[in-house]
Amino acid sequence: MKKSSVGYYGKKVLVFFFSIVILSLVVFYVARLAPGDPLVSYYGERAEKMKPQERAWAEKKLGLDAPIYVQYIRWAKNALRGDFGISFKYKRDVLEVIAARAGNTLILGGIGFVLIFGLSLLLGILCAWYEDRLLDRVICKVGTVTSCIPEFWLSLVLILIFAVYLHVLPSSGAYTIGKEEDLGDRIRHLILPMTIVVLNHLWYYAYMIRNKILEEVRADYVLLARAKGLNRRRILFGQCLRNVMPAYLSIMAISVPHVLGGTYIIETVFSYPGIGTLSYESARYQDYNLLMVLCILSGAAVILCNMIAQTINERIDPRIRAKEIMEESRVEYKGI
Amino acid sequence: MSTKGFELAGIRPVEEEKPVKRKWYEGKPLASILILLAITAGCAACQLFIPRDPSYMDLLNYNLAPCREFLFGTDSMGRDVFSMIWYGGRISLFIGFAATVISTAIAIVFGAVSGLGPQWLDTLLMRLTEILLSVPSLLFVILIQAVLGEASVLSISFVIGVTGWTSIAKVVRTEVRQIRGSEYVVAAKCMGGGFFHILWRHLTPNFISSIMFMVVMNVRSAIVAESTLSFMGIGLPLEVISWGSMLALSEKALLSGSWWLILIPGVFLVVTLICVTSLGNYFRRSANRSQSNL
Repeated sequence: MKKSSVGYYGKKVLVFFFSIVILSLVVFYVARLAPGDPLVSYYGERAEKMKPQERAWAEKKLGLDAPIYVQYIRWAKNALRGDFGISFKYKRDVLEVIAARAGNTLILGGIGFVLIFGLSLLLGILCAWYEDRLLDRVICKVGTVTSCIPEFWLSLVLILIFAVYLHVLPSSGAYTIGKEEDLGDRIRHLILPMTIVVLNHLWYYAYMIRNKILEEVRADYVLLARAKGLNRRRILFGQCLRNVMPAYLSIMAISVPHVLGGTYIIETVFSYPGIGTLSYESARYQDYNLLMVLCILSGAAVILCNMIAQTINERIDPRIRAKEIMEESRVEYKGI
Repeated sequence: MSTKGFELAGIRPVEEEKPVKRKWYEGKPLASILILLAITAGCAACQLFIPRDPSYMDLLNYNLAPCREFLFGTDSMGRDVFSMIWYGGRISLFIGFAATVISTAIAIVFGAVSGLGPQWLDTLLMRLTEILLSVPSLLFVILIQAVLGEASVLSISFVIGVTGWTSIAKVVRTEVRQIRGSEYVVAAKCMGGGFFHILWRHLTPNFISSIMFMVVMNVRSAIVAESTLSFMGIGLPLEVISWGSMLALSEKALLSGSWWLILIPGVFLVVTLICVTSLGNYFRRSANRSQSNL
């Protein structure tokens, strides 16, 4: 058991690093092959008026003169030492630039994530409890409609209502200039983006959980428990939910990238200074070093979350493993 | 001997369900289909009834609220929103379908290769999809779009199609793995059927129903993707009118408080999406569901 555990996690770690290397290679090549002048993002307007010698000097200074694979090897060597280069636009160390913004995204995404999962579990249970009755139907309908609304349009409408017509909430940014330390002001700036992050994902996950619970409720042990005289509440909370939990946890893990991707667009609409706006800028204006680190960070987060979900499925929930083994043997048998 | 003697205690009485005769329209999302048809027809035949050239900039009447002359008002460049809606809907819907065709084709071939191939190929391809899934698709789209250069209707469809196939491919692969050992597939192989023959004649008819829902949903996400990209200014340019590029002017509209520039294209967009979704849900809904034990 112990030995197989080491092998199991060792393999995961290997796959993780392999994926990161491939990802960095792809992003590195695509970014550099894309048309656009990285010098513009470093020197601004001046880059267009440069003489050829000046250009050559500038490219050499930024390490853009060698063939791409040489550049990649150079970058990888430095990256392994923890040096990811400087951002062309901000002219500071990439990690510094990201660290300055990461907090904002973590607040938006993190609190949003917790809210989404608390509320979706609640809604899911509520729907399953009142299956096919009025409450369930109303929640389902409202949910389907809200999940159809593109997040950027919902943001626009909410800005229009609350910022333009009612003047109660700010329309952009993370704080009013000059009030950086004011907690109340920050919260006021968070309300609209947070509402959209939550609304946009809540329904999707609530529906998933509802269906999982409904599947579970149709199992035979529920019938047995009913026959023994247990009441509905004790069966649902004491037995069904415990069986749904592993699936719920793995859905949670997989959803991290979706929530993350959603915050990217919302941040851009609200000009919220976070990782999302930074990625958008860096991809548009050829800020190579910054783009690389951002892609690798989000890629690593996603791969890690997928692995956690897989581990939950395989290790924590023995039923899934048993089922898979059975299915595999069936498929292999048929394959012969 | 009567069968009564063999009746076991505790078994649920099996009720003979009478086949209920349903009218042809029952259980089908009729309203959604009708609205969707109306919007599609309106967009397709828009030349017949739109009052003005959608790209004509009427500099005397810019930023007008909806009135009798301009049914949905005019935007900040003096274009007639009513004409733009129908004209732009064409492009939005076209992108939705074209991108879905591209991504479904890629997904079916990719999933089938992965499902039919040997173990190592399968593992490799599935790892690849995971890596692709791991880049936020927005970044990916920006990068590909940058490589392709100036955005056009076709290039946007291509970009959205190329980034949207992974989840369908996963389902296709699972389904193919389950039926690849079936006798008819083996028989077709023995008789020398090629990959595409087997895929098209034997595999696709079997898994088409399980991906139908995802394919319809793909239309929806493609339309959303186009409008989001155009809104952010990395999709279609302002001159190419679509529901998304109409919304790209909304930042100015927010400043001037012209609600019609934001609400009208958005409502058309959302109504279309809701109809597509309910169509997708219709495909997914299983015919009979078992009874709850709770």
